[in-house]
Amino acid sequence: MPPASSTPPISDPLACFLEHGLSITVATRDDELQPDGATAWAALVDGDRTHLTVFLYEKAVPPVLRNLEQHSEIAVLFDRPTEHRACQLKGRFVSSRPGRAAERSQVERQVEAFREELEAIGIPRAMTAGWSYWPCVAIRFRVERLFEQTPGPGAGEPMR
Amino acid sequence: MIPLESLTSCFQGLIPAWLCTCSRDGVPNVAILSHVDYVDSRHVALSFQFFNKSKRNVSENPKAMVRLYDPDTMQVYALRLRFVRTETEGPLFESMRLRIEAIASYSGLKGIFRLLGADVYEVLSVEPVEHEAGLLALAAARGPRSAQPSGVPFTMKALQELSERIHRAPTLDCLLDAILETLESIFGFRHSMILLASDRPERLETIASRGYREGGVGSEVGFGEGIIGMVAEARKPIRISGMLRQLVYADAVAKRAQLSGLSPDAQRIPLPGLPNPESQLGIPLLVRDELIGVLCIETDTSYRFHEEDRAYLEVLGGYLAIAIQNALLRERAEEAEPLPPRPGAPQPSAEVRPRIELTHYRSDECILVDGEYLVRSLPAKILWKILNERQASGQSEFTNRLLRLDKSLGLPAFKDNLESRLILLRRRLEQRCPEIRIVQSGRGRFRLELSGEVALAERP
Repeated sequence: MPPASSTPPISDPLACFLEHGLSITVATRDDELQPDGATAWAALVDGDRTHLTVFLYEKAVPPVLRNLEQHSEIAVLFDRPTEHRACQLKGRFVSSRPGRAAERSQVERQVEAFREELEAIGIPRAMTAGWSYWPCVAIRFRVERLFEQTPGPGAGEPMR
Repeated sequence: MIPLESLTSCFQGLIPAWLCTCSRDGVPNVAILSHVDYVDSRHVALSFQFFNKSKRNVSENPKAMVRLYDPDTMQVYALRLRFVRTETEGPLFESMRLRIEAIASYSGLKGIFRLLGADVYEVLSVEPVEHEAGLLALAAARGPRSAQPSGVPFTMKALQELSERIHRAPTLDCLLDAILETLESIFGFRHSMILLASDRPERLETIASRGYREGGVGSEVGFGEGIIGMVAEARKPIRISGMLRQLVYADAVAKRAQLSGLSPDAQRIPLPGLPNPESQLGIPLLVRDELIGVLCIETDTSYRFHEEDRAYLEVLGGYLAIAIQNALLRERAEEAEPLPPRPGAPQPSAEVRPRIELTHYRSDECILVDGEYLVRSLPAKILWKILNERQASGQSEFTNRLLRLDKSLGLPAFKDNLESRLILLRRRLEQRCPEIRIVQSGRGRFRLELSGEVALAERP
């Protein structure tokens, strides 16, 4: 269900966090309620602060889209490895399209920021050199609910 | 299916894992996992620390998926799972609980960051996510590994050499050094320490260490504090890999706990030894059911301890505990006989001060040298007694037997740990006050040597 209030769900500081370059995991499910997960490499918040687009490597996309085209429920977890600040956005799939050439620099910037995060916790750059993230597929969804996901008491509660 | 045994590295918790679940009404959920544990060839266990959405989801729909990272290649593996049961006791639960509580105690989170249950899942499939490999081409070229061999050469020859060195050690003092030297020279463990039971209840004191800039002899750890204290409390070995990552995770929990009105301890316990160890292995030194002490090995390099290391060292710990206890009992027998000088003991250097002042604080039972903390408790009482006797009568030779008979020291009639207290005292003096030396002159006897003038002051 969309939030009752007319306030867009994604605040400016949250949008900044989501686009920083984080660990992004996308969850979907199939007919049998079997959940599935995939990595997204970047996220962009729409100007309306209600829709979000995540960018997945094209080879990771077929099972994700197979699920989303049947069942639009989607959950996306954002986690900043250096502090494990995390939040989860849940909503409904809207559309998908190939990533545009103009978006590539934004995706690369976020991947680079994520690599820097991992370096700070002891995962050297050589360990992430083999990541494949382009060409991308952009998956857009409407954000309906936001949850605090930083580990600890209160993880999973709606964000205030 | 790729055998779970080939994913040993993935179960060390070096890289966060992800758990995807789905509610009965079809809403998916993702959560970060602090650890995935290998149970057997068909099962894994996930830590259940907080009642959260994942827990509710698997209670109503047991299907789940975990994404695991191989820390050596960053290769991702997807495991399809089916929730089976929650264990709240038993060996699996205990092993997960100890590791989590050791991390929690470093972050002042004991009681908050704790294991409520070990959630056991059946593994239905294991697939590598082919397009998610971190190291270029390496993971694909290598394929799934066979069970990872131990990086430590626990060969029969190595164990024989250790055994020979232990048998050659003439005193407890030499034995402790021989153990740590051998752990480095034969097994490659460069940073290690042995803590023995203190004369204060439920506390351990470092009596020997190797590979640290500060020797740390005399530093204390309470039962339940950090990995060493948890090993002492539970009398079980604990292996932790990826300390930095796990402390980051625990810090995140601490911040959430504070926001939720819970109050983590203000006092974070400093890690003994390395400032930022990446892997730690704590082994209880047990003789039958008695805890003699704890052996702690750690590393700040990319080397990581494996389950096999823990198993070997647990067996070795039993052997070392018996050797230490035998040395203690032998020295108590006080057969006066000459001993070779202890190798490596520092000789008085040119930096010896011409005059030092020792102050004994009776109520705190501690001694300061020129205003700096030197020693406390029983070692302080012993030092104060022998310094005063030397000042009063010129006596410089002492025996352990006479110390035992001295009621002012308050030694218990049974298992007084006097020998280990004397070693601790001698090593503290070597580090902090080389002007005073305790030289073992025979089994069960020692000589007090002074350089320069030693002034004694008594305070309440």
